[in-house]
This record gives sequence, C-alpha cells and structure tokens, in this order.
Amino acid sequence: MPAMRLEGLTKHYGDPVHGVTALAGVDLKVDQGEFVAVVGRSGSGKTTMLDCVGLLMQPSAGRVLLDGVDAGTLNERQRAELRSHRIGFIFQEFNLLPTMTAMENILLPLRYSKGDRRAARARAEALLAEVGLADRANHRPTQLSGGEQQRIAIARSLINQPSLVLGDEPMGEVDTETSDLLLGLMRRINLESSVTFLIVTHDLELAARTDRQIRLRDGHLVSDERLAA
Amino acid sequence: MEILRNLWRRKLRTILTISGIVMGIFALTTMGSMAEHFNYLLQGGVTYYGKSVQVGDANGGAFSGGYMSASTLAEVRQVEGVAAAFPSVGVVAKPGSTNVVTFGIPDYITNYSPGSDQYSAFKLSLADGRWVTDASRYEVVLGSSFAAEFHKQVGDAIYLPVRPSDAPPGFINHRFTVVGVLNRTLTAPDSSAMVSTHDAQTLQGESLPVALRGKVDTYSLISGIVAYGKPGVDLDALAGRINAEVPSVKAAKPSTLVETFKSGGAVFTFITTAAALLALLIGGLSVVNTMIMSVTERVREIGLKKALGAKTGNILTEFLAEAALIGLIGGVIGFLLGVALTVALNAGDPTGGLFLVTPRLALLSLGFAIALGAGAGLLPAIRAARMDPVTALRSQ
Repeated sequence: MPAMRLEGLTKHYGDPVHGVTALAGVDLKVDQGEFVAVVGRSGSGKTTMLDCVGLLMQPSAGRVLLDGVDAGTLNERQRAELRSHRIGFIFQEFNLLPTMTAMENILLPLRYSKGDRRAARARAEALLAEVGLADRANHRPTQLSGGEQQRIAIARSLINQPSLVLGDEPMGEVDTETSDLLLGLMRRINLESSVTFLIVTHDLELAARTDRQIRLRDGHLVSDERLAA
Repeated sequence: MEILRNLWRRKLRTILTISGIVMGIFALTTMGSMAEHFNYLLQGGVTYYGKSVQVGDANGGAFSGGYMSASTLAEVRQVEGVAAAFPSVGVVAKPGSTNVVTFGIPDYITNYSPGSDQYSAFKLSLADGRWVTDASRYEVVLGSSFAAEFHKQVGDAIYLPVRPSDAPPGFINHRFTVVGVLNRTLTAPDSSAMVSTHDAQTLQGESLPVALRGKVDTYSLISGIVAYGKPGVDLDALAGRINAEVPSVKAAKPSTLVETFKSGGAVFTFITTAAALLALLIGGLSVVNTMIMSVTERVREIGLKKALGAKTGNILTEFLAEAALIGLIGGVIGFLLGVALTVALNAGDPTGGLFLVTPRLALLSLGFAIALGAGAGLLPAIRAARMDPVTALRSQ
C-alpha cells in the first residue's frame, strides 16, 4: 500500500469561470520511505498540492489517500487527528513559537495528541541530539541561528513519529552550507526511520539529491523522474 | 505557562487591560462590601422581626418610640397563641447629638429581658462577661460596635446616655459598669447597650422633656412589647388577634415588616448590580480589544497549531484560557485593592465600619472577573478557532 496517493487531485480558487485552477487532476503515488522533491515555477501548484496532502485544504475534486485512508471521508476533527499522528510539517520560515524554548517547540504537537508524555520527552531529547542541538534545549528561537531553528523545526515534525513529513521550501531561508546540512539530516532520518519525505523546492540542485523528482507546471504533473541513488 | 508568556510579551497592553478589570472589580468589591454590610443588617431584621410580633401604642405603632402602660404586657400574654411577651424599653444613646447622619443603626440603649433569648430566633451571645439581670442596677452589656466605639471592656465604666457636645440643659446620665460585651452580629445589637428593664425605665423617664419629669411614673411605662407565638401559630394572625383583643395597642404583622426589610435589601442589591455593570463595561471592553489584537497578531501561530493537529476546540480553549487569566489576575488585584480600601476605611470608623467583605463577595468578585474575561474573550477566541489554517499560515 502506498504511503500517499493522489487521484485526480484538483483545486480551483474562486468561481469556476473567473477563478484559477491551481491543480488540474494530479495523479501520484508515493511509497513508504521515499524521499521526493516537488519542483516547478511559482504558481505551478506545488504548495497547493502540499496543503491538500497535509489535509490543510480541501481539494475541489479528486482524492487524497494516506496509508489507504481517503481524507475526503473524514470530518475536520478526524483530519486534525490524522495530521497530528501521521503528518509532520516543516515550513520555510521555521514557524517556531517565540515564547517557547527549543524543547517546548519540539513538544508542541504533543499538546494536541494523546500519548505517553514521558516517552515523548525522552524522544524529544533524542531528537535534539539527533539534530545536533542537545545543548540548545532551553534556548528561545531568537537565541538560535536560522539553521538551528530549522533543525528544531525538523525535530518538531518528527516528535509524533509521523509516516509522512511535508516540507514547504524548508531550505528557503538558510545559506547553502546550512541547506546541505539540513538535507543531510533529513536524508539520514529518512533512511534510518523509513519516514516518507515530500519536499517542495525551487532549488533544482537540492531536488537532484532526492530519490524522485516530480515536476508541476500550471497545475499539471508534467514529469515524474526517479533519480539514481 | 505559555499563556503567561504570551501576556508578558505585550507588557504594556496586558497591564492596561488588567487595569480595566482591576478598576471594575475594585468598584464591585467596595460597593459590594457596602451592600453586604447592609444586607447583613437587614437580614438580622428579617430574622428577628419575622419571628416575633412587635406591639406598640395604638397612636404610634411598633417603632414610634411612644409609650404604653406596662400593665398592657399582662393583657398581651393572655391572648391565645402567645407563648411569651417581654417589655421593650429603649432610649437613644446620644440624645440631642447633631451627628444625625448615619449609614447604620444609631447607638441605642435598650432593656434586656432575661429569658427572651429562648424565644427569639435571633440568638445573641457574649464575647466576654455576663448578662444583666432584672435585679441589675447600673450595669450594662455592650454591643460589639458600641464597645469598640467607646473602647470599653468588661469592668470599665461608661456614662449613659452619652453626653453629646451640645447636650441640652437638664441632661442627665449615669455611670454604668460594663458587665458583658456581645459577640459581633453584624446587625442592630452591635450598636446597642443593654441594661435591666428597671434601668431602661429610669433612663426613659430622664429622657422626657424637663417639664414632664417627675410627673410621670416612668416605671409604669414601656416603649413596646415583643410577643412570641407558640409553635405552629401564624404570627400575622396572632398580630391580628392582639389588635382585636388588647385595646389601645397596635401589633405589626411580621410579614409586613419582613417585606419592608427585603425591599430595603433590594436597593443594595441594585447597588452591587450597578457596580458589576460598571465592571462589565470597563473591563469587558478592554479584554475584547486586547484579545482581538492578540488573535490578529498571532494568526500564523494559530495556523501552525492547526497544522500540528490542534482542533477547533483546542484553539478556542487556549484563547479563552488567556482571556480568563486576564480576568483572574485583574480580579485578584482589584479584589485585594478593594479589600485594602474597605479595611482602611473600617479601621478609621470607631463603630466598625460600613464595609463587610464576605466569602460570598470574594467568590462573586473573582468569579465575575473570570467570567468577564472569558466572556469578553469568547468572540475573538471563536474567530481564532475558526481560522482557515492555510490562510493563517500564509499571513504576514
């Protein structure tokens, strides 16, 4: 069973006549443990696709299936629960809460999900070590560099042990050296934990270092290329 | 913890918002404590007058301060349904004083009838000393406020009635020994001085105009009668029977007196309600404004939390908790300031003061503050909870 499957995914903004079609019937299947880059120009529908896959947005037509579950059949509460347990998010602008420490930011998703808090805290400490910031647990985001903030955001995306991590330009705000470091980190997690990564990026060089490169143009999937390891 | 940090992020705004609640709850506490004081006062009246029948002279009524023959007492006791009846003799404690404006019951001297306590629904108790007896002469039991006002305790002497600075010629008073001090009742007995019926009649005679003194046998006169019914007797009906069977008296229906006290209490309830509305207006608007600003500033945070799995109820709860905390902090500060003011004002009042802070008022003030904060924060919180996560995440 694929980790994620899109069937005829379509999204219109505005009314059918004057509105914009961001996605026009995208079909896609991603297996568990794949590391996939989604590329395309601005307005090609990358972010819209990510929002639909992340259950943040309802498609106008078509289906999103996560581990075989049709997201269209879920109510808002069930979608929130699925997001909480199965999906991790990494954003371009990190989106760490400034009033919280690094540790608290990593633990934030647990506030909205059930589970063993003590085990989660141990996992958060392990993740902090994994992203190389064990000594920054009590730092606030303003006390961290951009790269460090994104590493905290990566740790946060993994705290609930999701099967799918969605990245929206996760390296967009960091320099090349940090970008390499972050990509290496995600890659390692991907290989060690078989977590599926779906990364939206403008950076073709970065996209070339993934398993698979999907290209969108004007809402259509125009290429799906598997890359050599 | 996160809520406190969020509030602390915008210190000035938080302080100003809390100040609004503080002012409102401060007003509620001070006005409410005054209302509580009067409500206790009136409740004492309801308890006492609701379970007894006040009998006065037919021309004056139960509270006229008139005179009636002491022999009437025996006639009242004969009326069917009367379990016991006691004479009532009272004179003002500060006759001729120009200080007539008062928010409470003025100090008064009354007789104490041994045995009446077993019939009265309003129970008095001694903080110190003993009761006066029928045989007592120039001995007095002081109410708590009376004792505090004149700094008297058991064993001290006090001259009664108290000589006012503008005492008229012919003013007479006597040296009484304080033999007991009452526990605080928060109602009329606090400002009383209780003497034997004989002594009360002596003072009654001396309170007459100089021209009448010596021409009237003061020991044959009383101010009124307090009658108690046998168990199960309808006191209103008993008052009617006394009026019908005993000539030249007027017995007041207890239900009428109780209604009078209750309507007095309604005035003070209105005062508290008005203060609450003031709090609602000042505090509520400031919380609404703050929470709208807070939601507007934290749109991305809301989007993020939704992306991380927060449900509508989670976001609603978080913002409501924040608004309620503003209310609680403002409520605690406002209440404490209100208490401090009432304590200070009471301390400066020799009779014990006009303000009474009760646990009920504390609960009302703090509960109202929390409800006010949460209520005012409800609409902004709903707005936050219903926010579309994608729009919220993309907002600048």
